[in-house]
Amino acid sequence: MKQLKYRNILIGTALLVVGACGQESRVAPSGNVIKIGIIAPFSGTDLNQGAEGLKGVETVMRLWPLLANGDSIEIVKKDDGNEPDRAIKALQELTEVDQVAAIVTFSGSGPVLAMAGVADRYKTPILATLATHPDITRRSEYVSQVCFDDIFQGQVAAAYVRDELLLDTVAVFSNPDSIYSSNLATEFERKFVSLGGRISDTVPLSAEAKDYTAVLKPLAAKGPELLYLPLTAEDVIGIIEAAVKLNWMPLMMAGDGILATVMARHHEQADLLDGLLTTDFYHYTNKLTPFGEKVRRAYDGKATSFAILGAEGFAILRDAMNRCSEPASRGCINDKIRTTSNFTGVMGPITIGSDGKAHRPLVINTIRKKRMEFMVKVY
Amino acid sequence: MTDYVASALFVHTKDTAYIADLLNKHPCGAVITPMTFEGVMLDPHGILKGVAHVVISGPLAAVKGMLELAAVTDVSIGLVPTESQKNLRRLYKLPRSIEEAVDLALQTEPTAMDLLLCNGRVVLFRATVGRIPLLDTPDHPGKLSILKAAVSAFFNLRLLKFDFSTAGERQIATAASGCIIFQHCESSITSRLISGESSASDGFVSTVISAPISVIDYVKFLLNLLSPSRNRKRLPSAIGYIKSQTVKIEPESELDVYIDGEPATRTPIYCEAKPGAVRVNVGPSLREESRPAEPTKERIQTDHLPKGKELLKARKKNAIPFFSYASEDRFRDLFTALRDDAEINNFFLVLMLLSTMLAAVGLYLDSASVIIGAMLLAPLMAPIVSLAMGVLRGYDKMIRRSLEKIAVGVTIALLASIIITLLFPDKPITGEMQARLNPTLLDLAVAIISGIAAAYSKSFREIIQSLAGVAIAVALVPPLAVAGTGIGRWDFQFFFQAFLLFSTNLVGIVIAATLTFRILGYSPAIRSKRNLGMVLCLLMLIAVPLYLSYNRIIEERVFERGWQNERFLINGKYIIIESADLRRLGDKKIVVMEMVLRDQMDREDMEEFKRKIQAYFPDKLIIRAKTTFIP
Repeated sequence: MKQLKYRNILIGTALLVVGACGQESRVAPSGNVIKIGIIAPFSGTDLNQGAEGLKGVETVMRLWPLLANGDSIEIVKKDDGNEPDRAIKALQELTEVDQVAAIVTFSGSGPVLAMAGVADRYKTPILATLATHPDITRRSEYVSQVCFDDIFQGQVAAAYVRDELLLDTVAVFSNPDSIYSSNLATEFERKFVSLGGRISDTVPLSAEAKDYTAVLKPLAAKGPELLYLPLTAEDVIGIIEAAVKLNWMPLMMAGDGILATVMARHHEQADLLDGLLTTDFYHYTNKLTPFGEKVRRAYDGKATSFAILGAEGFAILRDAMNRCSEPASRGCINDKIRTTSNFTGVMGPITIGSDGKAHRPLVINTIRKKRMEFMVKVY
Repeated sequence: MTDYVASALFVHTKDTAYIADLLNKHPCGAVITPMTFEGVMLDPHGILKGVAHVVISGPLAAVKGMLELAAVTDVSIGLVPTESQKNLRRLYKLPRSIEEAVDLALQTEPTAMDLLLCNGRVVLFRATVGRIPLLDTPDHPGKLSILKAAVSAFFNLRLLKFDFSTAGERQIATAASGCIIFQHCESSITSRLISGESSASDGFVSTVISAPISVIDYVKFLLNLLSPSRNRKRLPSAIGYIKSQTVKIEPESELDVYIDGEPATRTPIYCEAKPGAVRVNVGPSLREESRPAEPTKERIQTDHLPKGKELLKARKKNAIPFFSYASEDRFRDLFTALRDDAEINNFFLVLMLLSTMLAAVGLYLDSASVIIGAMLLAPLMAPIVSLAMGVLRGYDKMIRRSLEKIAVGVTIALLASIIITLLFPDKPITGEMQARLNPTLLDLAVAIISGIAAAYSKSFREIIQSLAGVAIAVALVPPLAVAGTGIGRWDFQFFFQAFLLFSTNLVGIVIAATLTFRILGYSPAIRSKRNLGMVLCLLMLIAVPLYLSYNRIIEERVFERGWQNERFLINGKYIIIESADLRRLGDKKIVVMEMVLRDQMDREDMEEFKRKIQAYFPDKLIIRAKTTFIP
């Protein structure tokens, strides 16, 4: 009888332990609400950056609705149309009117650089998920990046082309109106030349000069083996169409995020991009972490790089807030963001240094038959 | 020049009445009198009076009815088969297109064909008695119902006593599950067995008798039937064949008789071929085949069917067993050979010693060819196969002797390799040794397949020479030599891993050979379940480390392959990882990688490289790098 009793207690305890292990720990709501601002292009040509990034944020909020202390988060959205002036205005409103504790932005390098110029004034932590310009974190100690920066991206692209594809001559395009584009082009060029490669042409592609055929004709004569295209998806598609017309198909390589835009806005033209190489944040065949798996399952649809970066950025912010005794404290959040060490992102650990720069791998993908194909991962 | 009839009676049913138009429009201008089959049957002899030629198109019953009438009235027959009557078309080699069939039906050159009657009923294709699964199905059943009926029939097949009497007054008593009676070799699948033996105009009836001794035997017969490369001169063991002008079949109990897939009569059944009883317009190729040939004799091939005591034994059982029994002769020979194999003799001792010495030296030389030589010399396979038979039949003496012989062999192998290792001044761990230190589930699979092959080749004298190949595949002595080397090196992990491989081979072969002997019919049941249980327990025990080892190898391969897509940018220096090789030293994981880079890495770069690896890779890895520089 006594033995039976002990056995029942043992079984009961085991069941409790198993039951407890099988569930996420539940947090009781405290009733407090902390506001988090989101600045992103929700209108204009880049609206998919904002829409998909926000979907990533909402996915994480669905998975973990409360902070560790039970506080809930309220999202306050501001549309900057990917324009610097509107971004600064949005920053001002969020910090002064809405009193947000921190801001996550899905804007490009231009608007974020503008915000970084005034961020110290507002002393509100800003987490840039998509802006890759290296000066973003240099201009303000309140701006941190979730993505890699263009120095890393440009150098990796150049080294891949030179040392793996074994190419000697490259023509580099850039858009002088875009800080992102010109900076990435410069980084690529610098590294490629340092590796013994030759730049046959540097082609500034301003908003006015859109006759791609006229631009490509003289280039083709010089026979570069690859065109480096840190441009918008529309420009890349235009250049490829012009090259097809000229019956000239050199290798081409573009920058981060282009595939997400193509899949969202130009899917019907994706077959044109066959063979295009890109530097990017993810590839869906890479092994996902448990966090990545949860996000993938909870995400409504097929997540693009923008959505995944949105999810990761917001999760890093939550993690920083959870590590603060006062989760709404802007100063504490900023300190904790900049001491993020080995945070488990979607594909692996992400570390944000005290300089606000993220240390994370980059992948090189290519497009084959309308599908992304993984080439290499660079740490 | 083709001649056509001047007039013909066209017998049809409602569905085939339209063919009258085609007959009337035929350029030969024959006078066609259409009449329904039912109409003809009201007064067949009256209606056929004065009719020389009948064209018939309609269901099989109508065709058979008209053939029966033709046999007694001397009218010639032209056939126009319907779209669905493929068998009828094949039987008389009639043209596929209806226009050509009409043309042939009106010609004046009929061929005299035999008519097969069973209990007075016309048989066009076949008559079946008893159970012959998959071959006795009705003509147009659903696929699912064929399968259901076949599965049920397979497991309820039983042999009954059948008496066959032929025109030559031969009496054959045997046990059979059923038989198929037919006349023409094109008329059923079964008739393919005796392809070339029967003809539509030889005046003989063919009877194929199915007498499988097991379900496996019957399956073999079916496979043989379907095999394009089968030996047409030799009948499968489960089949008997009688060819005679008449055959009378009397099973011990009354059975249904199916004629052309339809239940028609009951046993006893008397079948006769009426030579040249009907004149039919057949296809040109059949016309050629049906030219009068040399008279043939009655043929009976039933010697291998159960008779005498075997007949009585077969009849006692409710259903035939799943597995076959080996014949007593075959079993006696094999058993004597296996009993000899279980005895320790001087040849065994000498060969064991020599093969181990050869294997040990070959391992140190890292020479695959020398090791293969040792495998061929090794005499260990024989007692292992004997052990399997002992386990199956519960022969304790054979088990004990086999185990003793194996134990002596293992001891000799270990001692010889220990001595060689101790004598060797240099004791390198060669690739051939390493290959025997990580047994996995795949090695167990090799052992099982080899065990099957060993038992199978041992069972048939014709293929006994294949045992050498089995010995090479499973390699028993080299793992023992590696295990002995481990003891000689005083490295018990080394010993354990190699001995695990040997044990895997031993247990795998015993299990597989036991079951193979069972399937081949060397025992009606596994008599020593306790012994087999023990071997199975051993198998399960061995499977655990093998599974873990297999998993580890898979993980390692995935890990190593994954590295081929990894790159690093260390302080601006781009590093290409070409390959990675994961090695283990105790619990430490060492990754030996081949890197391609442009610039020399200094200490600071190495530190950064190490930091990145530690940050991004979960396991604690020790890196050893071989570098190739890009000039």
